[in-house]
Amino acid sequence: MSAESGALADIDERLREFGWYTVSKKEFRDAIRSRGLWLLSLIFATAFIAPVAIALYTDFAAGGGITAQALQEQGMQLLLRGIYLNMVTLLLPIVAIFVGYAAISKERTSGSLKILLSLPHSRRDVIVGKVLGRCAVLGVPLIIALSLTAVFITASNITFKPELFGLFSLFTVMFALVFVAITVSISGVFEKSSWSGVANFIVYSYMTFLWNAGANGIGSALQDYLGVTGALRWHTVILLKLVNPNQAYKTLVDSLLSSGETPVLSARLGMFGRGANQEVICTGVLNGVWGNETVQVLGGQTAQIPACVESNGVPFVYSDPAVFVFMTVWVGIAAALSYYTFSLADL
Amino acid sequence: MTAIELDGLRKEFDDVVALDGVDLTVDDGEVFGFLGPNGAGKSTTINILLDFVRPTAGTATVLGHDVREESEAIRERIGVLPEGYGVYERLTGRQHMKFVIESKDADDDPEELLERVGVADAIDRRAGGYSKGMKQRLVLAMALVDQPDLLILDEPTTGLDPNGARKMRELIREENERGATIFFSSHILSQVDAVCDTVGILQDGKLIAKDSVEGLREAQGEMNLVVTVGDAANLDGTLDAVRGLAEVSSVAHSGDRITVSCDSGAKMDVLNAFEDDGVAVDDFETEEASLEDLFSSYTEREDVEV
Repeated sequence: MSAESGALADIDERLREFGWYTVSKKEFRDAIRSRGLWLLSLIFATAFIAPVAIALYTDFAAGGGITAQALQEQGMQLLLRGIYLNMVTLLLPIVAIFVGYAAISKERTSGSLKILLSLPHSRRDVIVGKVLGRCAVLGVPLIIALSLTAVFITASNITFKPELFGLFSLFTVMFALVFVAITVSISGVFEKSSWSGVANFIVYSYMTFLWNAGANGIGSALQDYLGVTGALRWHTVILLKLVNPNQAYKTLVDSLLSSGETPVLSARLGMFGRGANQEVICTGVLNGVWGNETVQVLGGQTAQIPACVESNGVPFVYSDPAVFVFMTVWVGIAAALSYYTFSLADL
Repeated sequence: MTAIELDGLRKEFDDVVALDGVDLTVDDGEVFGFLGPNGAGKSTTINILLDFVRPTAGTATVLGHDVREESEAIRERIGVLPEGYGVYERLTGRQHMKFVIESKDADDDPEELLERVGVADAIDRRAGGYSKGMKQRLVLAMALVDQPDLLILDEPTTGLDPNGARKMRELIREENERGATIFFSSHILSQVDAVCDTVGILQDGKLIAKDSVEGLREAQGEMNLVVTVGDAANLDGTLDAVRGLAEVSSVAHSGDRITVSCDSGAKMDVLNAFEDDGVAVDDFETEEASLEDLFSSYTEREDVEV
């Protein structure tokens, strides 16, 4: 045996002290033998690599012209914002659902859960082990896909920015973990995998497509029925929106990729549509300065339009670290859900 | 020391009372047969011991640990064949064994244990392709990991062919000789009465009897003695004499065979009654009451009361 495998065996031995480790290892071993998951990973990796592969193949942004140079400089941000951001928010949760929706319910139906729980594992270990095991199942192909994307970008004309890509990858992996945790927890609620699948899909659809409308609706209702107006209304709405992991991820990546002088401010402001009172949000919620911005219009002329022009520092609760916490707090919510539904339930 | 102690154990599911105040003690080193018809509450009891199901009232301890508070400590020291179990279809027999060995921090040899239950030749095949009987043996081998102090087996002989059931009994004996306590449930009594030290009979969520197998037989008291006589003519006087014996409860007559229901110890008295009356006994055999009979007599008695 080589020294390396000896070291690995040693790590393995030490990790076994944690109850969840053995469960997650079994989980990973079991899941990676699923053909469906391999196919999914393949599709997923292909979808990730395709845009950069096309950029490489078509010699995107070649040459030394001004346009080409601008594209080389901004190419990565364009790609991440234009393609990857949507791919991650729409596709990754679906993949997470496939990976985790049957994690516990299937073991319940098949009866293997009884074997698992007749061994010295607590139910908490089972949940944690399953979440981590399934995270590895999704995380490994995700990290491989991200690494390949990095390699392809480096090989293309687009300038590769390691720090930016590293943070983007971190947010993306965290986002995936959050959805796996939610999915596995939902799986613990239901006795049948099909119900878990339906419930997961409803949660996914709500978070992806309806949550923001709901948050806006609550804001309007606060004003219409309770007379809550001004900054308080928008504080409520922005908090409600940030609690959605989908939105939290989007606005995190948004501020990461923003090229302006006030990335965090514009990213948070970007969470609101035309119906929102931008001025109140700028000054009353995000601690910005409302003024006139000079913009270029057609024909080389300039015009003044009102905008949030300066930041006096976005309040901590809406800052990037706080938003990152909002996103990860879902792991805790999922754990609490699991505790009350799975840990306290009769099998 | 007691292996299992149940005290006023009660479990209600919605509007059904599955267990209605069960008190039971299983001593260390015993082979305890937990008997009763389907739906009597046997699996519910076992599920409570494993903390799969939480009791509505009462307490249960296993190896001195409370089943609710210290379930993990219990599960470190027991081996289980649960009811309605399933295997991991995609994992091999060896991987199953390794998982259990790692979970219990044991150092057993997977092959050796699978050899004992007779599925070693399938060790590297996926368990999804195993037959029902092979899966049962695999799970049994998993239960034997780390020499548990207590084996809890829910219907261990169900789904096994007669040969498999015999091997199961052998295994139970071996494990018991090693020092393990065995607690198993069954509704097929004839398969298990040979291995039990003690049996408990559960009926409608209540423990209606607990005794040694011999004790139960004695309590029941009856056996059938079938006597074959050389000459079946003019037996009436003789049969009346036999009926007159205090130990005899009934006599039935068909051709040259006479079936006498009597106390277990009255065999010689009955045979002597024939001889005394000048009737030659060609042959005789005794039919001791099987647990099946005991069981139905208990459950019928219960029916009458209700």
